[in-house]
Amino acid sequence: MKLLRWGVFTLLLASQLIGQTRLEDVQSFTLDNGMKFLVVEDHSIPNANFYCTFKVGSRNEYPGITGISHFFEHMMFNGAKKYGFKQFDRVMEAAGGRNNAWTSQNLTSYTDWFPAEGIEKIFDLEADRIAHLAFVDKVVESERGVVLSERITGMENDHFGFLDEQVRGIAFLAHPYRWSVVGYESDIKNWKLEDLQRYWEIYYAPNNCVAVVVGDVKFKQVKKLAEQYFAPIPGRKAPRPVHTVEPEQMGEKRVVVHRQVRSPYLEILWHVPETRHPDYYALDLLDDILGTGRSSRFYQTLVEEKQLAVQFYTDLSDAFDPTVYGVNAVCSRNVAPEALEAAVYEVIDELIENGPTAKELDKVKSRKLASFYRQMETINGRAGGLGRYEIMFGDYKKLYTAPEAYKNVTAADIQRVAKTYFTKKNRTVGILMSEEEAE
Amino acid sequence: MRRQSLIFVLLGLLLTASLTAGQFKLPGYKKVVLKNGMALYLMEQHEVPLISLSAVFPAGAVEEGERYGLASLTADALFFGTASHSKSELEETLEALGARYNSGAGMESAEISASFLTKDIETVLPILAEVMTAPAFDPVAFDRAKSRRIQQLAMIKERPQRVVGQYFLSFLAGDHPYGRPVTGVPATVEAIDVAAVKAFYQAHYGPKGAAIALVGDFKTSEMVKRVEALLGQWTVKTETPATVPALNLRFGQSRVLLVDKPDATETQFYIGGAGIARSNPDYTALQVVNTVLGGRFTSWLNDELRVNRGLTYGARSGFTAHKSGGLFAMVSYTRTEKTEEALDVTLEVLDRLHSQGIEAELLKSAQNYLKGQYPPRFETSGSLASLLTDMFVYDFDESFINGFQKTVDGLTVEKVKRLIREYFPKENLQFVLVGRAEAIRGIAGKYGAVTEKSIEAEGY
Repeated sequence: MKLLRWGVFTLLLASQLIGQTRLEDVQSFTLDNGMKFLVVEDHSIPNANFYCTFKVGSRNEYPGITGISHFFEHMMFNGAKKYGFKQFDRVMEAAGGRNNAWTSQNLTSYTDWFPAEGIEKIFDLEADRIAHLAFVDKVVESERGVVLSERITGMENDHFGFLDEQVRGIAFLAHPYRWSVVGYESDIKNWKLEDLQRYWEIYYAPNNCVAVVVGDVKFKQVKKLAEQYFAPIPGRKAPRPVHTVEPEQMGEKRVVVHRQVRSPYLEILWHVPETRHPDYYALDLLDDILGTGRSSRFYQTLVEEKQLAVQFYTDLSDAFDPTVYGVNAVCSRNVAPEALEAAVYEVIDELIENGPTAKELDKVKSRKLASFYRQMETINGRAGGLGRYEIMFGDYKKLYTAPEAYKNVTAADIQRVAKTYFTKKNRTVGILMSEEEAE
Repeated sequence: MRRQSLIFVLLGLLLTASLTAGQFKLPGYKKVVLKNGMALYLMEQHEVPLISLSAVFPAGAVEEGERYGLASLTADALFFGTASHSKSELEETLEALGARYNSGAGMESAEISASFLTKDIETVLPILAEVMTAPAFDPVAFDRAKSRRIQQLAMIKERPQRVVGQYFLSFLAGDHPYGRPVTGVPATVEAIDVAAVKAFYQAHYGPKGAAIALVGDFKTSEMVKRVEALLGQWTVKTETPATVPALNLRFGQSRVLLVDKPDATETQFYIGGAGIARSNPDYTALQVVNTVLGGRFTSWLNDELRVNRGLTYGARSGFTAHKSGGLFAMVSYTRTEKTEEALDVTLEVLDRLHSQGIEAELLKSAQNYLKGQYPPRFETSGSLASLLTDMFVYDFDESFINGFQKTVDGLTVEKVKRLIREYFPKENLQFVLVGRAEAIRGIAGKYGAVTEKSIEAEGY
């Protein structure tokens, strides 16, 4: 009964919520060249943002050019035709704007934050680099050093990242999700200018990108500026889809790697479906039950009661293709990684056996709603959410139906997905420990 | 969680929120002082049905003496159960409502923060009041947290980027309270038991010297009544907050602390000297100057070290400003074999600031940047609540924020010259290098008198 009562309550909350950040506030248009824009007018602060996300990431790479998507993200700041080397950042910052960018396995996103009156300058800067990026040898070489530094720092300061690269490398046999976004060191050192140029021609087309503008702007003005600055960039043939399908895993895989660490690190990956799969919402709630907050099952069992782990996190990343769910943890002092590993399976087996409690399910659903509000509090939260749903879920409108989709997940759904994916045959286990300790 | 890599990483430099203003005016708020002395700040924001709370107590690390970590462990343990709720009840109740909650201690104060849906106020607010007035400090939970803390303190040394800043603070501030490691060191944490935590709580958590800010979807008059009902009768007596002596840093020579991490492949470094107190009238103006030196992507440091030479992924500079003084640092990292080049380039950039100053066009750019990036800082109820309690702790008011644009725009090339001369160290610089000593020991002496220690050595 409690579940039903919550269900009704959730529904009320959901409609109230749509009243605050209404679907009809989102306006959209697509230029003739295929570039899609989503726009929300929000006059709460005199600022706006421009998020431009290309559907390209490390999954579009192949051995020899791993890491090139991320490197490309850096190159987009190194000069084009109208605004040469260093000018993109200088002009933007002098106009009160700031930018950043990120690359994932699936996407490369460019993000600008600026006083709203500077929007035309931003469009001018962005259109220039999308249409006319410059490829200069000397600049590529300097940036290569920056990216190598990024890789070394990342690996040196992050044992989780180091282990993750190793474990993903064997969890995937065929699919490009097997290499890290930053790429292999030897590839970073050796790719050529032509590789970059080719990559740009294939993937940096206006029709391969979604732009989101939220803030103190007018829809009409955004559309006019888009026509003026982005419409002249010619559309291109759609990139060839990634057609490699990861074959079904036929048995548990294990790897042990060494590095000087005080306590062993553990990572376990299970193959799970892509973000657009119907099981996504159940998996996402399952992840919350297991790993989010101090009242989560992993925290309560591994960290509090049994004190086997000093630190842990779980990971279910957005993905176009079938991906992995990850549990990552650091052993407590004098705890063997096998003991921690066994405890992880115990928690999961219990959930497969009995499913989540009604109270747990209520909790994770209400938390999703509160997170939704928090995201909607800022113009950046709105832009990020809209872009994410448009690209990863296929339609920005699904941002507004997500509360309903989460509400519809039942305890039985969660139990079923746990049983389906958390099998021994489907998992890959990695342990990082110092060599002496392994002996 | 996205696997992402940002093009520009924020280093571990402690940049206190640089309050920089465009057309931004602080929204109206009301300040009430309860009869027991507790200050209450209320600001209505009705955009989303959320309420944020920030509560501060004079219970920061400056109160803990040599028992490093005591203030921080005490603040962390506030949520370990209360008079009427066990720890797990408390966590389950708050999390079931989608509420977020946190507690922690910094150098000068301890903070409890929370965010919850307006509809849950009758459940959440009494719990938060109990966390403040009647924490139970469950001994089992405390011992577990303490054990985790000790292990984390050991683990953190495996990540040089996370500890280089603390080495710098300790190296420069020495025995001054501001040199203390707020999260403790294994030996001091080992010596802290639940009785010590309870005693620290009783001595430093009370209505006097405390403030609560609430921002969000509520009616001010109703909220005042609620808070009065929950906390108005709280009348415990606490100790007078410690007086922190002014941090007067004067270095007679350049010094280098070389921290050896034999398996390191890169060197993390901090270079700097004396900084300013939070109340310094030039606080805002210095943010403008620092924007040019190391406060944004096109800053001179990042441009020279990263963009021109590919030596690093990022370089920054900034002031850490506490109530009684602070530090200034330039921060970056590079591959071991490039250490000397990176240090030399950093020093050249600082020299350039002194010899050339900042010309008018660049000054304009920095002014625009600070003003343009200002409004989003106070977009959420949570950031506004923290701002209000910062105003209380650091003793400034809305004129600081509302007058920001004027201060920024009022800067001239000449004024900037004075600021550089007065505040940016030039001689007797202090260096901290964390890296493979065997490879960089030879060059370290070039920069000053070298002290070497192993990263394995206890503390900083």
